[in-house]
Amino acid sequence: MKISKQARRDARQLLRACMANAVLDDTRVRQAVQSVIRDRPRGYLAVLTQFYRLVRLETARRTARVESATPLSPQFQSQLQAELSRKYGAGLSFFFVENPALLGGLRIQVGGDVYNGSVQGRLAALQECF
Amino acid sequence: MSTLLQDIEAQISGIKTGVTKQNVGTVREIGDGVAKIEGLSDAMLNEMLDFGNGVIGLALNLEETEVGAIILGDYTGISEGQEVRTTGKLLQVPVGKALLGRVVNALGQPLDGKGPVTSDTFYPVEKIAPGIIKRQPVSQPVQTGIMAIDAMIPIGRGQRELIIGDRSTGKTTIGIDTIISQARLNRAAEAAKNTGYRPLYCIYVAIGQKQSNVARVMAVLEEAGATPYTIIVSASASDSATNQYLAPFAGCAMGEWFMDNAMDALIIYDDLSKHAVAYRQVSLVLKRPSGREAYPGDVFYLHSRLLERSARVSEKYGNGSLTGLPIIETQAGDVSAYIPTNVISITDGQIYLETDLFYQGIRPAISVGLSVSRVGSAAQIKAMKQVAGRVKLDLAQFRELAAFAQFGSDLDAKTQAQLERGKRIVEVFKQPQYNPMPVEVQAATLWTVQNGLMDDVAVDKIKDFQFKLSDYLASRKSALMEKIRNEKALSDSLIADLKAAVIEFKQTYK
Repeated sequence: MKISKQARRDARQLLRACMANAVLDDTRVRQAVQSVIRDRPRGYLAVLTQFYRLVRLETARRTARVESATPLSPQFQSQLQAELSRKYGAGLSFFFVENPALLGGLRIQVGGDVYNGSVQGRLAALQECF
Repeated sequence: MSTLLQDIEAQISGIKTGVTKQNVGTVREIGDGVAKIEGLSDAMLNEMLDFGNGVIGLALNLEETEVGAIILGDYTGISEGQEVRTTGKLLQVPVGKALLGRVVNALGQPLDGKGPVTSDTFYPVEKIAPGIIKRQPVSQPVQTGIMAIDAMIPIGRGQRELIIGDRSTGKTTIGIDTIISQARLNRAAEAAKNTGYRPLYCIYVAIGQKQSNVARVMAVLEEAGATPYTIIVSASASDSATNQYLAPFAGCAMGEWFMDNAMDALIIYDDLSKHAVAYRQVSLVLKRPSGREAYPGDVFYLHSRLLERSARVSEKYGNGSLTGLPIIETQAGDVSAYIPTNVISITDGQIYLETDLFYQGIRPAISVGLSVSRVGSAAQIKAMKQVAGRVKLDLAQFRELAAFAQFGSDLDAKTQAQLERGKRIVEVFKQPQYNPMPVEVQAATLWTVQNGLMDDVAVDKIKDFQFKLSDYLASRKSALMEKIRNEKALSDSLIADLKAAVIEFKQTYK
């Protein structure tokens, strides 16, 4: 679908209206989508498509994905959450995933930032050196 | 002692095996050598991006939600959803003397099958040109070995002189002749152990050329023994537009290394019309807004920032120089098209080649009226200035009179003499390709024609006379030629010697 400049601008405006304290507010997002569908302004489909994309990117930006080879203790998980929240601010949503392919260590991804302390990552880095 | 050990222990335990932070993104769209990547929030402009498996990209568009990157190399292995990493490095190429005699691509990788390039120095492809403080005026000559250029449109070290003309008018030949001339001068200085001579290294950048053309240039340079002083950067017509766009910048970086290390270099961009076309393609697939003739708005800046990097730096910064000879191909002699006017305004003069002259047999087909060198006259040696000072004027007068004389009326003796002299000057300036002439021979020949010593030679015999005279001067009067070369000026005694030599030659000439 061709998304016009106006639709992009509207979607961005909509996203800004859905932010509360620089964090995306779920209720506001739902309300915004419902109100757009109800009112059906000109080019609403394009606006919603773009809005969906922006929300997806914003959610990804505020998502911390922690991968580990073995399950992490609840105490360590909360410690990690506190550390990451201190670095990236409040409002992060956390996912703890088990990934035996890492062999050992942790791989943490917050938005586009990746901290790869896994054995797999180090082996890959070593392989690139040769 | 124990506290010292404890201190060290504490420090060692304090060191953490740091987990480096990386910035990643995912490919959203890929096609035409351009990828759109989501994420990569930390990407810098012109930063190298790692697509994995040795594929490198260059971030050219930083947008609100995505990054537009051009892929250097094969992009067919890249798929949607693939992870891309920033590298924190700007695009760089190997530089240094190890590249001399090599043929490389836009990334500095060898194409000649002579093994890897052994250089540990790298320069960024995009670099800010030297500022005002670092520069000094152009004052040393680049001897192209082409008499018409050295006499009338002299080029100095650090100058940017445009070579412009239609297709097949001898633009590349001027560049190649210049390279061959430099190689001869460099070799002669090396043989004579002349430490005062600053060798001029050459870089030939082929942009969008046919592979056969590049191979031909290589063969000519090899035959003339010019390869040890030359680097060829090739982004041929079959290379991707991104490589064609980067090639002149890569070549320029290699030239800048010579300039920064107190050496002189000359770079030939063959040609910038095709470079602009390649850049237009890259810009259009990146969905940048297009302007006149669909070129992007920054096509002027593209060439100005490239050509501004040619400079002569001051003594304090090593006295090095980078001379630029960009080539532009015009369509049906139209110099007022977009790209030609841009490059004409950036450079310090142009050598304009005309199809008509070329087919009249005047080769190099330099149009004296339209060609100009804005700064080169300061770099001309005194001997050349003495003999060539009036040539441009004489030729212009000849053209005017020749047009007038076509009406066939009787002419007075003075006009007749001017016409005859003009015809001889035109003949003298004809020169076969790949045959550069030493500056002292040029000066002696011009002196001969200017002082009427060729007036009694028939016009169709002038070339033969000139060839034999050069031969005679080089073989029998080598001491005189050497004096002119060393003194760089024609003193009264030298003029007397030269006159005697020419008269002596004329007695034997048949």
